[in-house]
Amino acid sequence: MIFPQGAANRTDPSDASETVYDAVIVGGGVAGSIIAHELSQADLRVLIVEAGPAEDMTLTGYEGYLSRFYSATSKDNQSPFPRNPNAPMPRSTDARPIVPGQPDTASYLVQNGPYCTDTTYTRVLGGTTLHWEAKTPRMLPEDFDTASRFGQGLDWPVDYAELEPYYQQAEREIGVSADVAEQTYLGVTFPPGYVFPMRGIPLSYLDTVVGRGVDGTEVKLDGESHTLRVRPFAQGRNGVPNPAYDGGKGYLPTGAVSTHQVQEGERCQGNNNCVPLCPVQAKYHAGKTLAKALGKGVDFVAQAVGYKVHVDPVTGRVSHLEYRQYRDPSSADYVTRTARGRIFVLAANAIENARLMLASGLRDSAGLMGRNLMDHAYILCWALLPEIAGTMRGTVCTGGIVDLRGGSFRRQQAAFAIDIHNDGWGWATGSPYTDLHAIVDAQNKFGPALRNALVNQISRQLLLAYMIEVPPSPSNRVTVDPAYRDQLGNMRPVISYSVPDYTMRGVAYGRRLARRIFERLGAEDYTYYDPADYGYVTHEGNGYCIRGGNHLAGTHVMGTAPANSVVDSTMRSWEHENLYLAGGGSMPTIGTANVTLTLAALCYRSARRMVEQVRRESAPLAVSAAH
Amino acid sequence: MSEATPKITTLEQLHRYLYSALRLEHATIPPYLTALYSLHPETNSDARHVLRVVAVEEMLHLSLAANVLNATGGTPDLTRAGFVPPYPTFLPDGEKDFKVDLAPFSEATLDTFLKIERPAKAPTKELRLVPRARSARHLLAADPDDPDMQYYSIGEFYAEIERGLEYLHAEYQAEGRTLFVGDPSHQITPEYFYSGGGEAIPVTDLKSGLAALGLIAAQGEGLGGGIYDGEGELAHYYRFQQIKLQQYYQKGDQPGQPSGPPVAVDWHAVYPSLPNATLAAYPDGSELRAAAVGFNESYADFLGLLTRAYTGQPELLLEAVWRMFQIRDHMNRLLRNPLPGSPGVNAAPTFEIFAAPLVAGA
Repeated sequence: MIFPQGAANRTDPSDASETVYDAVIVGGGVAGSIIAHELSQADLRVLIVEAGPAEDMTLTGYEGYLSRFYSATSKDNQSPFPRNPNAPMPRSTDARPIVPGQPDTASYLVQNGPYCTDTTYTRVLGGTTLHWEAKTPRMLPEDFDTASRFGQGLDWPVDYAELEPYYQQAEREIGVSADVAEQTYLGVTFPPGYVFPMRGIPLSYLDTVVGRGVDGTEVKLDGESHTLRVRPFAQGRNGVPNPAYDGGKGYLPTGAVSTHQVQEGERCQGNNNCVPLCPVQAKYHAGKTLAKALGKGVDFVAQAVGYKVHVDPVTGRVSHLEYRQYRDPSSADYVTRTARGRIFVLAANAIENARLMLASGLRDSAGLMGRNLMDHAYILCWALLPEIAGTMRGTVCTGGIVDLRGGSFRRQQAAFAIDIHNDGWGWATGSPYTDLHAIVDAQNKFGPALRNALVNQISRQLLLAYMIEVPPSPSNRVTVDPAYRDQLGNMRPVISYSVPDYTMRGVAYGRRLARRIFERLGAEDYTYYDPADYGYVTHEGNGYCIRGGNHLAGTHVMGTAPANSVVDSTMRSWEHENLYLAGGGSMPTIGTANVTLTLAALCYRSARRMVEQVRRESAPLAVSAAH
Repeated sequence: MSEATPKITTLEQLHRYLYSALRLEHATIPPYLTALYSLHPETNSDARHVLRVVAVEEMLHLSLAANVLNATGGTPDLTRAGFVPPYPTFLPDGEKDFKVDLAPFSEATLDTFLKIERPAKAPTKELRLVPRARSARHLLAADPDDPDMQYYSIGEFYAEIERGLEYLHAEYQAEGRTLFVGDPSHQITPEYFYSGGGEAIPVTDLKSGLAALGLIAAQGEGLGGGIYDGEGELAHYYRFQQIKLQQYYQKGDQPGQPSGPPVAVDWHAVYPSLPNATLAAYPDGSELRAAAVGFNESYADFLGLLTRAYTGQPELLLEAVWRMFQIRDHMNRLLRNPLPGSPGVNAAPTFEIFAAPLVAGA
């Protein structure tokens, strides 16, 4: 994919502030890039304002991220990306236990607690899709009305059937590898004859070893029987194109992005460090869509952080966006600029969208702005298998157990999906680096004995990661406080968050289920939750370490009326008719689906409405001639 | 119309030419891989990607040649003695002015690669065969029927095969027979091989056979004198030229005048591996000897795997992907280690495959 040379700097920001665009989009991540591309296809004039550094996406630039990751001591999600105090990013290594009553203000996210989240998002071109894992399950039909069905969460103003065609669009853009037969479960349906762009990524050997113990296991919940089996996940990474795609036209995978022609990343190579960065760009990232949008002539101003959304007090319409453009990531110097447009789209992710709205003093009538912050809660359960199972053969996650994503038990406890991690205990213990230290320092091994010990230890590791539903809760929220600002003077997000009991019941059940699975596999359970851990949460006398999933959602939920929501089903603000709040923040619930595919589908749906609105509002007034 | 008589007029001749094509395509891979893995890690990104893409596309060409051979009832065999040439070796070009070495990345190595891929057109079809000097011992695209002749360029060699294919097809058709009798299940399809711009073309008839042969030539030297092939992909010659000119091509550029982003080259960030190394360079019983023998054995296994993939088990090409990682690791083990007694020189894989009985692993 060619990134137009110079596109990151080609728009003169002073010229841009003199232009009235059809649409001004804040954020060059997956939501902003999809919307920009869709609007540019409709010949609208579009400006993207991006907080990240103003450098063209090139293969060598991407390899700079890789080098930083390779040499980093901590291999966390943000390790590939340079520090940028002008557009700071939360980092999981910043998380610290919170003392009640004393907010942790040491890092970008100000955390009130009581729970301390280690969730992250990435403020570079392409956004958080640079480090996402690229699992792309659709939400279940029952996820769209959990309030009516289970008395939990909120109902959506759209249902699965309404979103289905937009899921297809998102699957095309992201380039999803999956087999329809494997993804047809718990009510998820596809139109007759539908195939994914690429064939499913096969299960790993580790998956099949786990499957031998798990497949056919019966569990009873709320009087319903569920049969478990290991099943492949739909994935946003390049696999073998399906010749039957698109009525037999097939599919051409999109590889690495650069300013010159490169052929890389058209196939996943199984490198197994998808998170934080695919070495070959076989994993989708929004840079692929952004490059297309820029190729269509979309204007682009980077190093530009939204400061305030200005609203006309009479009409309630957004008049302009005030942003601060910094000269250099290492310097606090900036100039204040404005962007004008017919419509404005905030696509800066759930936390940043809410932060910017609240910093602009824009609260909706129902007071929901920033509330209902959601992220999947993860618990990790890990064990040593009795046999070498090929752990570390990638990609990071090929299969898991999804049979408890749905069911009547959701009246009482959260649903979950279980990932089988092909990268071993890494997430839980820092393996394989910690294993190396232990074997060298504690066991004094070297040479062939060290190599054998490493293989014996690591390739038997099994990590089950439970991605657990978190329902919307108004008290889980983003706020701002003028006392806390970043280097550029932008108010920082202040997070108040606790893990709901509903979720914790799912956590406790998941932990028990892991014991049963390990037993069936003859695996030795090494799971340990440290009470000193920042994510330690107790529930009914037991403690668990809860991790964030970086699946941020819910801070400007959509609904049927201004009384129950911030935006309508097209993600348009109820209060400001030319403002769209795009992305995960508009999702009223997240079920047990990683959010990117669904938020991408929502963006495709909204883009149609945006085009209609711009065309309607810019059409010459029909002056009726005398009849 | 005074069309010269094709050099290929029998099926046996066609199969011999296609076997030579397999040898030719494969013979470029060891030099390209040696140069590729001689680059220091995390340096020379631009050169690394050019070398990698070209090497991957040579593997596509290998598969395309196998497809044509299979389609016409032949049987690809990459394990035959002499399939891998001893290096340095000649490749065909009208002037026989260069040999191909197994050598680390350098300006001289790059110049050789440019010669391998350079566009060259013989003025007439008769001149396609030019006399060969007696000194040339290893000629990859040498006319299988006439050891005293060689082709003007790789492109011309394929043009001759295309002509032969057309001739035989017409002849078979006139006799009510079909040339394309091969088992379609032996064809390598895009599911099993993918290289970016070029896809594996399954060959079942004249049209697809000519398309497969045409893609090989166009990916090497460009289509009709342009810098791109029919898929809009930059041809190998111009990919290499970007490194020499230190600038990328972009759409609309003329040959020799790239106008894209700059290309950065660090000629020094290279492991100084021993050119055209042979096992004799490594003392008996040494670790390097064991690593070099081990590499040759695993590379021989790899050629065996490809042969099985080309003779009815195309799905084995998926396994070939991780085998390529293994080949990389094996090559790195040699290229990154100094050669004892030769200061400033590193070891290198020897690619002595089936040339002599393999020495048992130490």
